[in-house]
Amino acid sequence: MSGNGDVVLIKDGKRLDGRDFDELRDIKMEVSVLERAAGSAYVEWGKNKVMVGVYGPRELHPKFLQDPTKAMLRCVYNLAPFSVDDRKKPGPDRRSVEISKVTSEALSSVVMLERFPNTVVDVFIEILQADAGTRCAGLTAASLALADAGIPMKDLIASCSAGKIQGQVVVDLMKEEDNFGECDLPMAIIPKKGEVVLLQMDGKLSRDEFKDAYKLAYDGCMKIYDLQRKTLMDSMKKFVGEGGIENGD
Amino acid sequence: MEIEGYLKKDYITNLVKQDKREDARKFDEHRKILVDNDYVKDKAPGSCFVQLGKTKVLAGISIAVGEPFSDRPNDGVMSTSTELRPMASPRFESGPPNDESIEIARVIDRGIREAGAIDTKKLLIEDNLVWIVFIDIHVLDHDGNLIDAGGIAAMSALLNTRLPKYEDGKIIYGEYSGKLPINCVPIPCTTAKIGKNLLVDPSLNEEYAMDARLTVATTDIINAMQKGGTGSFNEEEIMACVDAAFEQGNKIRKMLSTD
Amino acid sequence: MLNVKDRDLIVPGDLLGSDILPDMNCYMEGGNVYSAVEGLVRVDGRKIKVVPSSGGYIPKRDDVVIGVIMDVLTGKWLVDINSPYICAMSGEEVSRDAAKTDLSRYYKVGDILTAKIGSVNEVYSCQLMKPWKIENGLIIDVNPKRVPRVVGKQKSMLNMIREKTGARIIVGQNGKIWIKDGNVDLAVKTIKKIEKYAQTQGLTDQIAEFLDKESRGNPIKPSYHINESED
Repeated sequence: MSGNGDVVLIKDGKRLDGRDFDELRDIKMEVSVLERAAGSAYVEWGKNKVMVGVYGPRELHPKFLQDPTKAMLRCVYNLAPFSVDDRKKPGPDRRSVEISKVTSEALSSVVMLERFPNTVVDVFIEILQADAGTRCAGLTAASLALADAGIPMKDLIASCSAGKIQGQVVVDLMKEEDNFGECDLPMAIIPKKGEVVLLQMDGKLSRDEFKDAYKLAYDGCMKIYDLQRKTLMDSMKKFVGEGGIENGD
Repeated sequence: MEIEGYLKKDYITNLVKQDKREDARKFDEHRKILVDNDYVKDKAPGSCFVQLGKTKVLAGISIAVGEPFSDRPNDGVMSTSTELRPMASPRFESGPPNDESIEIARVIDRGIREAGAIDTKKLLIEDNLVWIVFIDIHVLDHDGNLIDAGGIAAMSALLNTRLPKYEDGKIIYGEYSGKLPINCVPIPCTTAKIGKNLLVDPSLNEEYAMDARLTVATTDIINAMQKGGTGSFNEEEIMACVDAAFEQGNKIRKMLSTD
Repeated sequence: MLNVKDRDLIVPGDLLGSDILPDMNCYMEGGNVYSAVEGLVRVDGRKIKVVPSSGGYIPKRDDVVIGVIMDVLTGKWLVDINSPYICAMSGEEVSRDAAKTDLSRYYKVGDILTAKIGSVNEVYSCQLMKPWKIENGLIIDVNPKRVPRVVGKQKSMLNMIREKTGARIIVGQNGKIWIKDGNVDLAVKTIKKIEKYAQTQGLTDQIAEFLDKESRGNPIKPSYHINESED
């Protein structure tokens, strides 16, 4: 967040990519995209491309990490070296460690970990192409992949960000807006309860602006949730034989 | 979790249900804050030892010269790290930073950076040469709420940091050319949620019992936020945390002085 | 009050209704019953459950499973049964004086066996009993949550596949299925089809049709049963 006032981000009441202030980028979602993982999902969110694989519940090593009261949910958020303009050095950095932590905490709020004592559920989030808002896209995909894996959870997690550009509060920042805007507010909610499980913010927001940004991010999350539900419903069509049983496969 | 966690959780949860805290504080009350500036003044150009209740942290500032980032050629650079020293808790181990210490450092960093607390524009020495400000936060005794303790220590240390003399391409240690330019004083305030209750500045035992926490760093506006823990907040609770942060921030800002 | 109908598809967190009895894969909160997984709703009077579309295997008493010996210890074996929890099997299953017997004479590391789960404790440590060694044949993977459909009501589906393919089949509830003899290819194809379309209405009839069509012109060798632990 530089708050660089020289860069024009809003023109004629529209954003650089022609979006309205409360409009999300184009989003595509798919589940069961990986063969070996227990559950998986792929999300395209604007120029973001994110793939998630879930393994487990499986035996947790080393043993001293095992918790006899519940499973551990372990998240790895990884930005691929080629996902950004300047090659990112492979391996975890401070940013990805922090994102992994808050993502796993957000998911732990819904996954029924107490049902699988001593085990681990591994969630691997790969950002293949990054264009701002990757943690929201990653968390959204992770929640789909967990549902796809059949891991019991109280609800899905839907995530979306809001922010401020040129003094205007808007939803779902893309790269230029993230770089030259004044604030970024990634958020994730449990849609059923309407409660927040991930909330981060950096930049400059007054109390009132925060309330507006909160509302935009919240509404964005609800739109994401609708897409998530539709994606999962579509994925189960074969399971109930909708469209008939194809022969030959 | 240490077994302490299992042992204390029920006790604290029940206490909070009766509107009480183990140290008889009100829910919106910080523990006693002791600030000791220039704690290691013979070497570090800025430092501050903070006790937040029984939590003890020492923030030290180091100053170096170096190249600016290519996208901000005229701005000085700041960097924050936190070390959870093994003496501070039986749970901490030597070795590279783990996710907990990285989170603490990054949240403190965001508050200071996004508020523009350090006037980085004034840290240009000459073309392609700027001051680099390192903030190192040493956690020495962990009794909860390391983000607030570390954030207060870092900010207080920065307020009292001197810029070394720079002559003929060298830093002259021990001699100073002036004070580090500071624009404003962002203060983080962490609120824990236990059951339906919100408690400012959780102690370690309260952290064992909490479902979630929300840190809000404020100046006259909000500069950084971070939710932690596996629980959730509704909108009303979030706004309560924001308001508490403004209130606590104002109180604590008044305590921090420049000599 | 029901919020859904029988055979509706749902995702985690969907409200199923209130004042009803939650069965498998549901949870109750504030008097309401919600789904904990994605899958198919089944309503049975006042009882409601969700048939999950996928998921791993968690040991359950009396399940027949297929596993691999991981370790031979004094008086017992450790067996991997494709679940997060390693199973133990007592040497008493094969020898009266297990502590003094070299158990690797019976099962050594890497041996495959089918056995019944005798007991499971609250952290899912379990004991296997009545082992039977599996040799030769093919073992395929099926999502454990879709295995019940491969077996069918009163084993109707399984017996049909056995009959029409002439294959010997042991179904492990842990998602491992052993197939040997007869038309193995057709048996695999059929089982994979059942897995994919698990909750299709009238699946048994459609599978019967498929089997008839596919096995035409392939005379089937008579099938025979091996022992009690089969299926």
